[in-house]
Amino acid sequence: MKTDALQQPAGELRPDVAPGSARRTRRRLWGTLTLISLPILLGMAFFYAPEDANQGAAQRIFYIHVPSAWIGFLAFAVVFVASIAFLATGRRKWDDVASSSAEVGVIFTTAVLITGPLWGRPVWGVYWTWDPRLTSFLMLWLIYLSYLVLRGYVPEPIRRAKFSAVLGIVGFLDVPIVYLSARWWRSEHPTQFVVESGDLPMQMLVTLLVGVATFTFFYLYLLAVRVHAGRLRARVEEAEVSR
Amino acid sequence: MSWLSPALTIAGKDLRLEMKTRDVIASVGLFVLLVVVTASFAFPTGGDGREGVAAGVLWMSFLFAALLGMGRSMAIEKEDACLDGLLVSPAPREAVFLGKLFTNLGFTFAVELVILPVFVILLQLRPTGGALLLLLATFLGTLGLVTVGTLFAAMAVNTRGREAILPLLVMPVSIPIMVAAVKVSEAGFAGTWGSGTTSWLLLMLGYDALFLLVALVTFQYVTEE
Repeated sequence: MKTDALQQPAGELRPDVAPGSARRTRRRLWGTLTLISLPILLGMAFFYAPEDANQGAAQRIFYIHVPSAWIGFLAFAVVFVASIAFLATGRRKWDDVASSSAEVGVIFTTAVLITGPLWGRPVWGVYWTWDPRLTSFLMLWLIYLSYLVLRGYVPEPIRRAKFSAVLGIVGFLDVPIVYLSARWWRSEHPTQFVVESGDLPMQMLVTLLVGVATFTFFYLYLLAVRVHAGRLRARVEEAEVSR
Repeated sequence: MSWLSPALTIAGKDLRLEMKTRDVIASVGLFVLLVVVTASFAFPTGGDGREGVAAGVLWMSFLFAALLGMGRSMAIEKEDACLDGLLVSPAPREAVFLGKLFTNLGFTFAVELVILPVFVILLQLRPTGGALLLLLATFLGTLGLVTVGTLFAAMAVNTRGREAILPLLVMPVSIPIMVAAVKVSEAGFAGTWGSGTTSWLLLMLGYDALFLLVALVTFQYVTEE
């Protein structure tokens, strides 16, 4: 029975063949790096980075908000690349990567949409404004929520992988158009509230870079854990089928 | 072109079916009319800035019309395994996609052409000089909606949710083309070429071209078993 399950015809989902111990080491590495760098980032954000003259303490959420936005974008780019790789190769691994990255991306985009208004209220005076960046992230969040909902509606693994890969490609190609439309849509109200990164003091820039590194480790860790969980689930499903 | 002739055959089949049953045109047409009338009560139409409100109402109703029509047109193919028949036929997948796209575009655009004058009268608009702009916005906007919609409808009918999840897939991705279509229609209703109208038209053209290409390439993956 076991050999039958492994010898699937071409075009079926093929199991991943990378050694398990190397993947475990990688998971532990990203997890450890996150555990080390997260307290450092918090310390730097509160004690090392100077207080902003205009925005006060509220500005410090910037060190969580901007890295979250960066990870949200990175995660959806990974969904795009992994979706193309899945359609090209038919390997289950790429579907695992795409779906896991979409889940993690939605989490970080949610963080962007929560931390943005928290900062916006004291600084702009409103929780929400239809700023192009905020608007784009809201639309991104909706696109990838629909990606996750679609996956829930397709029980067959191969079909689910193909359908979501197509949505992963269409959704990401939509991003630049979304951003353009969000910019032009409110072009009559110029919203130049956001600090341009060019005139950031050195300490702020260093803290921001530590934040980006920390969140990248965190993303890689969560992605590895989710891919691992997907692999375990697939093994359980396979065992149930062959029983 | 080798795609065009089978695509037209498929669209012709849908047209003949529609002539006999009048299912889609009747249900979608009445539905849009109902949305327009309901929206006329729900929104402050006829006052200052009415062009903006009218353009929004117009495109919400067009969006619903397109979603309803596309879901129906793909559901028909699922009955008696018609879609399987199309897929085993010698017609290339691209032609099957184009055929369904022509059907969806034709039906939706036909309904919109009928509803537009009714809409202009009901909402007391005077789009003198903006008629061409309105037609252009309607065509380009509808093309974008049905391109993405035809691709996603082929996926949606093969899920547990059937056509019910089609709006969930189409709406987030189609926000940019909706925004653009609303902006151009607003200029059309006002009868003047707005400052950003050219940019919005280019955005619609780009959206349509990009997703037409992507849909042609990826349609084979959403239909193979």
